[in-house]
Amino acid sequence: MAAKYTPPASPPSPSASFYDVSDEDEDEYNTIAHQQSRKGVKLLYSKSKVYVHPTASSKDNIAGFIALVQQKPPPAPVHSAGSSPSNNEAASLLLAWVPETSLGDAYDTYVKVDLCDDVSAPRQRYLVPPLPATTTYRDPIGLYSFAVPVSEIYSLLVRPPSFGWWFGSLVINTRSGDSFPALFFHDSECESTILQKKKRVKESFDPFDNEGSLFWGGDEVLRWLRRYVDVERSSVDRNIYLINPSDEDQLSFGRAAIPGDGSTVSKAQPEATAAGPSGGAAPRDASMDPFMKTLKETRWKVLEHLSKITTFTRRTANDIAENPRIPPQMRRLMKNPEIQTLQDEFDSARIYLARWAMSIAEQSEKERKQRIWTAQDVLESENSSVGEFEILELETGNLALRERRKTLSLEEWEGFFDPTSGRLQITEEEVKERIFHGGIDPNDGTRKEAWLFLLGVYPWDSSREERQALMNSKRDEYIRLKGGWWERLVEGNSTTEEFEHWKEQRNRIEKDVHRTDRTIPLFAGEDIPHPDPDSPFAETGTNVHLEQMKDMLLTYNEHNPDLGYVQGMSDLLAPLYAVMQDDAVAFWAFVGYMDRMERNYLRDQSGMRSQLLALDQLVQLMDPQLYLHLQSADSTNFFFFFRMLLVWYKREFEWSDTLRLWETLWTDYFSSSFHLFIAVAILEKHRDVIMDHLKHFDEVLKYINELSNTMDLVPLLTRAESLFHRFERAVQAIDKRDNFPSAPTAQQRRPTSDTDSASNSGKGKQTQQGTVGSSSSVNPPSALQQSMDKDKPKVISPELRELLRKDIPWRRQQMS
Amino acid sequence: MCIIESRCNPTPTPEHYLPSRLQLFLGSATSLQVHFYPLHLWWSIHFSLKPPRQTDTMASRKKVLLKVIILGDSGVGKTSLMNQYVNKKFSGSYKATIGADFLTKEVLVDDRLVTMQIWDTAGQERFQSLGVAFYRGADCCVLVYDVNNSKSFEALDSWRDEFLIQASPRDPESFPFVVIGNKIDVEENKRMISSKRAMTFCQSKGNIPYFETSAKEAVNVEQAFEVIARSALAQEEAEEFSGEFSDPINIHLDNERDGCAC
Repeated sequence: MAAKYTPPASPPSPSASFYDVSDEDEDEYNTIAHQQSRKGVKLLYSKSKVYVHPTASSKDNIAGFIALVQQKPPPAPVHSAGSSPSNNEAASLLLAWVPETSLGDAYDTYVKVDLCDDVSAPRQRYLVPPLPATTTYRDPIGLYSFAVPVSEIYSLLVRPPSFGWWFGSLVINTRSGDSFPALFFHDSECESTILQKKKRVKESFDPFDNEGSLFWGGDEVLRWLRRYVDVERSSVDRNIYLINPSDEDQLSFGRAAIPGDGSTVSKAQPEATAAGPSGGAAPRDASMDPFMKTLKETRWKVLEHLSKITTFTRRTANDIAENPRIPPQMRRLMKNPEIQTLQDEFDSARIYLARWAMSIAEQSEKERKQRIWTAQDVLESENSSVGEFEILELETGNLALRERRKTLSLEEWEGFFDPTSGRLQITEEEVKERIFHGGIDPNDGTRKEAWLFLLGVYPWDSSREERQALMNSKRDEYIRLKGGWWERLVEGNSTTEEFEHWKEQRNRIEKDVHRTDRTIPLFAGEDIPHPDPDSPFAETGTNVHLEQMKDMLLTYNEHNPDLGYVQGMSDLLAPLYAVMQDDAVAFWAFVGYMDRMERNYLRDQSGMRSQLLALDQLVQLMDPQLYLHLQSADSTNFFFFFRMLLVWYKREFEWSDTLRLWETLWTDYFSSSFHLFIAVAILEKHRDVIMDHLKHFDEVLKYINELSNTMDLVPLLTRAESLFHRFERAVQAIDKRDNFPSAPTAQQRRPTSDTDSASNSGKGKQTQQGTVGSSSSVNPPSALQQSMDKDKPKVISPELRELLRKDIPWRRQQMS
Repeated sequence: MCIIESRCNPTPTPEHYLPSRLQLFLGSATSLQVHFYPLHLWWSIHFSLKPPRQTDTMASRKKVLLKVIILGDSGVGKTSLMNQYVNKKFSGSYKATIGADFLTKEVLVDDRLVTMQIWDTAGQERFQSLGVAFYRGADCCVLVYDVNNSKSFEALDSWRDEFLIQASPRDPESFPFVVIGNKIDVEENKRMISSKRAMTFCQSKGNIPYFETSAKEAVNVEQAFEVIARSALAQEEAEEFSGEFSDPINIHLDNERDGCAC
């Protein structure tokens, strides 16, 4: 833009032919309206998969790019219309549409510009062949590209995708009164829009803009234009955007007009009807879609309606169409063959739609939490044909009310202890219950102490003095352990083999520490030089906390040499260190954590396998229908839970939620395997999307992976608790039937009598196995195999029975 | 091999049967034409091996799904390569990959619209045994190393072997691999593996295509993946073709393994 204008060379070239842009020509682009030269124009923005729909048949759709290009500004303003000072600039800009097929070599440039993730003006200059500038449209639709000088654009008719019309569209109306064919944004095919949408969803899981509509490609075009010209939304017809409006236009259509919402008959009508040629949709779209209007006016109500769809029926769109609860507009839409084919046609759209409905449900769930469940609500849901799943919903609703707790504060925590001896005055169970349901205040330092109890560093029955002595000796021990590897690795007191081993371990650890939680302020940035010039991170530098992390992980290696460093450990350590802010203390907290987590990292992966197996059996018991579906989708290896189980959901929740979840799990309040109930809670929450839309292993895996950072922790905790109780009751029921004497017919696998008896000791509240050994005499002899429901034989396997235990049978035994 | 072993019928692990299977395959190569099966039988077998899938059910927009697996030591840049190729983005702060994930990208290969499904995996060898959950049905395997880290180069061979064992492709000899030496943006004096050494290795393994890339600076990434896409498409087409002459040994084993629902 800085280059000064040079008059175009003669003789004039007959056509807008291109590909002659060489490096030296880069600044020599020309006014293409004159079409006198063969130079390129600057491609500022482009967006792919913008279609012209020349006929009603989708086969005739023509894919192309919408683009904003800039030619050389003319020496003096040529166009008199408009009053804005930016009009001169507007004259150099062209809003264009080009069919993909006509692009030739320039295609790549268009794609590149499309994918530029620049929020601001494009940094790099891309030149493309000029396009014929026009102000009227006569060509047979879609055969040729068109480029309209922005100064010649009077208004844009912009319709976001709505329930009535899947694709958002844009129509250019010129000052001379012409309208160009509607451009349809096929957002589900457009990579850049998908990316931007994803980004928004990732950042806030809110695919809506302020006005309650979905983010779509047309928003982008308006954003481009706003960078250069005035774009004024007409208050008369909210779908009309005026470009560089004159004062007169402002008065008639601009923001000063009636604050109505498109309901008023207006002068904008000609604009709207001008969209006539754009296809059969125009009459329907000319005024705002009634559903979208409702959505705007009473968004909350509609959301609530939708939430009822999603929480109470949660079925496919077909069922939605039949559901009398649904607003009629929505029902009509779902019956629309267009939408139905869309559903069949695009896997991604289908899943997107489903997920979108979920997000609405979630939002509404949040809002509903503020309300109190009235008897009428309960009656209503009982009257509707609720299945198991809905009962669960109800249960969680009640639970949330009954057991909403505030977090455990330092003051309350200190009150648990005898002020003189520092011994716990209430029971360990009481403290754990408190933490399980309320969590610990994240800011007042309670965690520093409470976590050490939860992780087994401090015995629950210790006195303050004992704890001080213990920590002193632990600090010494840490220093001793650290000295061990230091000697071998840094001072070189080792065999070559040993040295190589430690070097290798250090490299692995370093690689991961430098990419663990670097967005947390404590671990962010590099402000000290790396101590080892040969390290791959020597140039990057490091910071003191990263170095501490490396030392602790190496020291753990010294402490537990058989295991070695395994990926995922750094994820477990980082929050502990961040809370403790003391390497020796954090180290021992980590040791305590690893004692229970070590099985996840074993060389043979046996620990992960046994948990996935337990999960498999748990889902089989709790939700056989879902299980069968997962089976049909080749997904019963439950591999998609691997990440969640390996680092206890660290990658699925944001930092603060992870910490809250971990302390909940550390209590073992209901079960030492409560993390598996979290997994089932996640599955159940997404049950219907999974059942209706995910048919293959890869789809399931992708869906579950992408839940990361979209889930609300507290509702999941409540759901998991409720699931645990259901599981407990199921086990009891089966055991009761099991113990009821009847003809021994079925030959089923039966759990060993001692674990069996443990669960019979009432509500799974036993603390240690073996304490209820005497009750085994109550059981019938194991030779008496019981028959169960023949159709649905349910057996409580040892793996399942273990889920009722509160101790950690697989805990690594400390060597003293 | 299954993640949940106890759910499986006792079947030999791939390590046990691979060599013999290889032999059998080569042995039967001369008599391929006699192994015709009634069509319905062939279909049922083929479906159980890898359900032929189109990403789109609409016939007019028929697309092919190409499955590509990226393997290599931890920290060589697998996630970065995938993201650079698919999203045209680089971030210095990718976390270590746990488990597996994939991205898809639609590309035109010689006027054919194909969907590439690119699988990114965890690099630590301890998690290798999980590969079986997603290696199967792969059309191309990308082996990545860091040109500044000789260990990661030396590991290529075992990554290749491990892949062949777990994915058990129909014809291991001709299965397409592509080798990528990543991080060429790092200063020259840090470089441990010369191009020559890498190319010699690739030649010795049956002329594996070799690329040197920088995911960070987007050097050669596009080019490498173009070859990956082509190799994968060729493999997919070859599979489709050779499916008509499935040899009985393969069928037997695969069928049996399929019974375990893993």
